[in-house]
Amino acid sequence: MNNFELNSSYFIVFKNQECIQSSLPNEVHYDQHHLVFQNKEPIEIQTVFLLDNDVDFSITYTFEQNTQVHIIETRILQNQASFHKIMNLKEQAIVHVFHENNSQHLENANVKEEVYLQRNAVCHSGYAELSDSSVHGEYLYYLDGENADAKVRMAILSKEKEKKYFKVLIQHNQPHTYGQMDNYGVVKDQGQLTIDGIGTITKGQHGSSSHQTNKIMVFDPDCIASANPYLFIDEFDVKASHAAGVGKMDEEHLYYLQSRGLTKKQAMQLITYGYLKPVIEVIDNEMLKEHFEKVLSKVGA
Amino acid sequence: MSTLMIKDLHVNVGEKEILKGIDLEIKTGEIHAIMGPNGNGKSTLLSAIMGHPKYEVTSGSITLNDQDVLSMSVDERSRVGLFLGMQYPQEIPGVTNSDFLKAAMNARLEKPISLFKFIRTLDKNIEELNMDENLAHRYLNEGFSGGEKKRNEILQMKLLKPQFALLDEIDSGLDVDALHVVSDAINSMRSDDFACVMVSHYERLFELVKPTHVHVLVNGKIVMSGGYELVEKIDQEGYEWIKELGIEMLEEEEKKPIILESCGKKESFKNE
Repeated sequence: MNNFELNSSYFIVFKNQECIQSSLPNEVHYDQHHLVFQNKEPIEIQTVFLLDNDVDFSITYTFEQNTQVHIIETRILQNQASFHKIMNLKEQAIVHVFHENNSQHLENANVKEEVYLQRNAVCHSGYAELSDSSVHGEYLYYLDGENADAKVRMAILSKEKEKKYFKVLIQHNQPHTYGQMDNYGVVKDQGQLTIDGIGTITKGQHGSSSHQTNKIMVFDPDCIASANPYLFIDEFDVKASHAAGVGKMDEEHLYYLQSRGLTKKQAMQLITYGYLKPVIEVIDNEMLKEHFEKVLSKVGA
Repeated sequence: MSTLMIKDLHVNVGEKEILKGIDLEIKTGEIHAIMGPNGNGKSTLLSAIMGHPKYEVTSGSITLNDQDVLSMSVDERSRVGLFLGMQYPQEIPGVTNSDFLKAAMNARLEKPISLFKFIRTLDKNIEELNMDENLAHRYLNEGFSGGEKKRNEILQMKLLKPQFALLDEIDSGLDVDALHVVSDAINSMRSDDFACVMVSHYERLFELVKPTHVHVLVNGKIVMSGGYELVEKIDQEGYEWIKELGIEMLEEEEKKPIILESCGKKESFKNE
């Protein structure tokens, strides 16, 4: 089942190891699992990955100096598939990526991303992990140049018997680097979710900031949820903060909405939508918003 | 004409009995004022009618035209025509006012309201209430001033058109101009098909929205009912004269603020 639609002028679609469809501008080249961006004007591109059972897929993106790219990425993975992506952002590259995981009914999928940012590079990523599947994901960001800036937002739903694990790392390897992650999850039924948020500032990286928030809202008594913030800091002159929490939906919020006539289910849906929605703000795109709303309706109550 | 009938209502919060037998009959077309010193059960009465889960009705009945209100869920109560304008409206991040208001209006319509009609109705009411034009896109009550929150309650009342509006200190946090805007809005709803129960400490609101019935609630019971003259008497003399009639009054317990930084141990030592 092809659970994606193409509506950008530029796109590239992979089925297992093959590129099956593409429309790329002149300054973007694809060759042997390597996508290189050299565009002088900002562009938006859609990338789609369809991986069958047991397929092990790797791809590298390189963003040359001063490129500006918005990417809308859809992943549809089958059982035991494994997806590995490396992104290299050269100096001053500005990249916004919205990832949606539309996998269905799969037992296990592994996703790993490594993102390397050089001087003044900016990467803002949004991950919508609302798939009907168990997932093990690792998203690792390395700030390798001064003033590099990484912001990561996640919206995760774990329901029925799904088991989801995510590790998000932002590692500061140069001074004056900025890292921020906001990971929000909702767990219902017998769903399980663990979020490990890790901020690392190595020695000598003065003037850096590392911030993180990890929050999980739990709907049912059989859910298992854990939000773990880690800060490893080996330098004095830095700013760092973390917040983590696992809790129920605020009863007073529900009461307020119900007192205006919304059923409990409608109220929960509205609150959940508001809670997870910031993830789509990474890229301004109407199609994304509509799609996200539709997918979220399965949160139900 | 509709009637909201409350008979011998007893309500507990936790182990403590707050309402100790309230009898009240409200018909559409009437405006009721409930007065009384702090901590004697006024807000509890309104919240119990709306069905707040914290308030446990231990005996008595509430009916709306013979329908049993107590067996209804909170949202059902809203849909049969009850509305509570809250003293402390919740702030809900991420939920925009327009999404919320549209959902609330649709909850009582068979066919969803058209986007065009919704925006037109909303804009008109926002203007009448002299509210922020950006309100629709802001998150529900988040970062609103006290006065803005109260006006947002009134906005919801106007959009949802309840038969029975319960307004809990709707005038607190309002400046003089806003008080006029809010009382004009309440007066504009007055009709044979609308009733209102207002809780307030200030004569000013009742001067602007003249009640047809006035009740004094003390220690969980209505100890006196009358007309507007009761408002005037309380405004001039306070509640002392009620004590002299031999009625026991609950003094509000001194509230000890618990500061976030203070540790749990210390608090428990103090109370020993």
